[in-house]
Amino acid sequence: MHLLPKILFVSLALFVANTSIAQESADDAEQLKIAALEALISAPPDRALPIVEKVLAGDHSDEVKSRALFILSQIDLPEAQAILLTTASSQSGELQLEAIRMIGIGGDPETLAALRGIYDTGDIEVKESILHAYLIADDSAAVFEIAANAVDDDEFEQAVQMLGVMGATDELAKLRDRDGSTESLIHAYAISGDYESLRVLATDSSDPEQQMQAIHGLSIVGGEQVGTTLMEIYRSTDNAEVKESAVHSMMIADYDEGVLELYRASQDSNEKRDLLQLLVMMDSEAALQIIDETLGGGQ
Amino acid sequence: MINNDTLTLYYYNDGLTDDERNHVESALRSDTNLAARYGALSRQLSGWNDPETPAAPPHLLARWHDSIDRAAQSENNAPEIEKTGPFQFFSFAWGGALAATLALGVALGMFFSGNDVIPIPDGIPVEVTQSTAVPASFTRGLQVHLRESQWELASLPAEASTDNAQLLMQIIEQNRMFERAAKQNNSPNVARLLRAFEPILMRLANEDIAPEDAEALRAQLAFELNVMLTKLARDPSKEAHTT
Repeated sequence: MHLLPKILFVSLALFVANTSIAQESADDAEQLKIAALEALISAPPDRALPIVEKVLAGDHSDEVKSRALFILSQIDLPEAQAILLTTASSQSGELQLEAIRMIGIGGDPETLAALRGIYDTGDIEVKESILHAYLIADDSAAVFEIAANAVDDDEFEQAVQMLGVMGATDELAKLRDRDGSTESLIHAYAISGDYESLRVLATDSSDPEQQMQAIHGLSIVGGEQVGTTLMEIYRSTDNAEVKESAVHSMMIADYDEGVLELYRASQDSNEKRDLLQLLVMMDSEAALQIIDETLGGGQ
Repeated sequence: MINNDTLTLYYYNDGLTDDERNHVESALRSDTNLAARYGALSRQLSGWNDPETPAAPPHLLARWHDSIDRAAQSENNAPEIEKTGPFQFFSFAWGGALAATLALGVALGMFFSGNDVIPIPDGIPVEVTQSTAVPASFTRGLQVHLRESQWELASLPAEASTDNAQLLMQIIEQNRMFERAAKQNNSPNVARLLRAFEPILMRLANEDIAPEDAEALRAQLAFELNVMLTKLARDPSKEAHTT
């Protein structure tokens, strides 16, 4: 009912701001343009679209154009998506990155798929923005495609990290056999909380370096089952570094019950001292109890 | 030492055993600093009382408490936030965090009052409405969350600080909860928007951010939050049909 006045207000505000009244400061004019764009969200999409398009084509600041892109992402018309895609492929710098973000927010499957072409020719910032757009759109399949077809380790690592943030455990599992990529995958397993994949690697002693990375990853996942696994690893290995890694991971996972159990079971005074120090560092209640027992036992 | 969470529970007569209440009562009688702290807290909390806010059922309240504990734990484990000295009750972050937590309670209370249960982080079991419509209670709760976020962001001091970072981490935690809730409540558009806010909030939480960059990011968030609120107010039930 009040749409016509609103549209008139928006058009007038943009016109007035565009022609710039002499006594008005540039900042005020900028704020007026932004307020006008904000008001556009109340207009019917087919009336708002040409105004936003005009703003994008006009001589406005990047800030105003960025706000216009956001309004565009909220317009449920195919033309809006087309403009976003054109901006993402033809512009550079902040506006291009912002248009890519808006495509993620819009969530249109076809426009999201078209980002892949921009990804292939884009620089690092553009690639990163596109991964973020897929994150926003929750499109783990698209990120998986990028990881699976990555041409170098950095690209693979970025995509895998994004899958970890997205909690895309199925997609990460499909990438498990890629050569020379275990470290990135371990980080992603840890971020996504994929206990099972980490457990397999953490109990495999064929590559101690990789085993220790996986043990560290387990500590980030945390939880009771992680504590139990770390105990098993500690007890079953003869490798001092792996032992140390397991016990430090218990500290990170705040598993003082396990450290206490190892302390009580140990017959080695050096090991007992190290474990007690660890309990003290963990601020565990058990540490005071042990200190009390130890001092009391000597009387 | 009796912390502010305990005092808050004492104030609301909620979540403490008889022994714990007695312990607080006795400490308030003997410790003047604690009594002063409790007085200030009571005034703050009474100012926030909203008689129209529906109370959440006890089992949901318990989940809420649990989610706060988890959020606090996760914040404490966050490596990028440097911990500072003793806890300062009157610090901006605490005031803001408490306001944020209570706002979240109000928002979740509104949501729960619609007989829906949203997923709480870390895999707590949930019941989700199977209907394709967006529950009105979810929309109302989301509106409260967005308005509170808007208010908190506008109130942030210009200079980056640990206090700012802590408050922003709180907002991020809540944002994640509502993002999951949106996903479960046929609101993928809302979920995408909330996901898009997070990198900006993370950048704002960075203590090394230049004031002019922080200002630009806050202006961007203010604009996007305003647009989102206007859209929600205009057509709260449209979401289910737009994907």
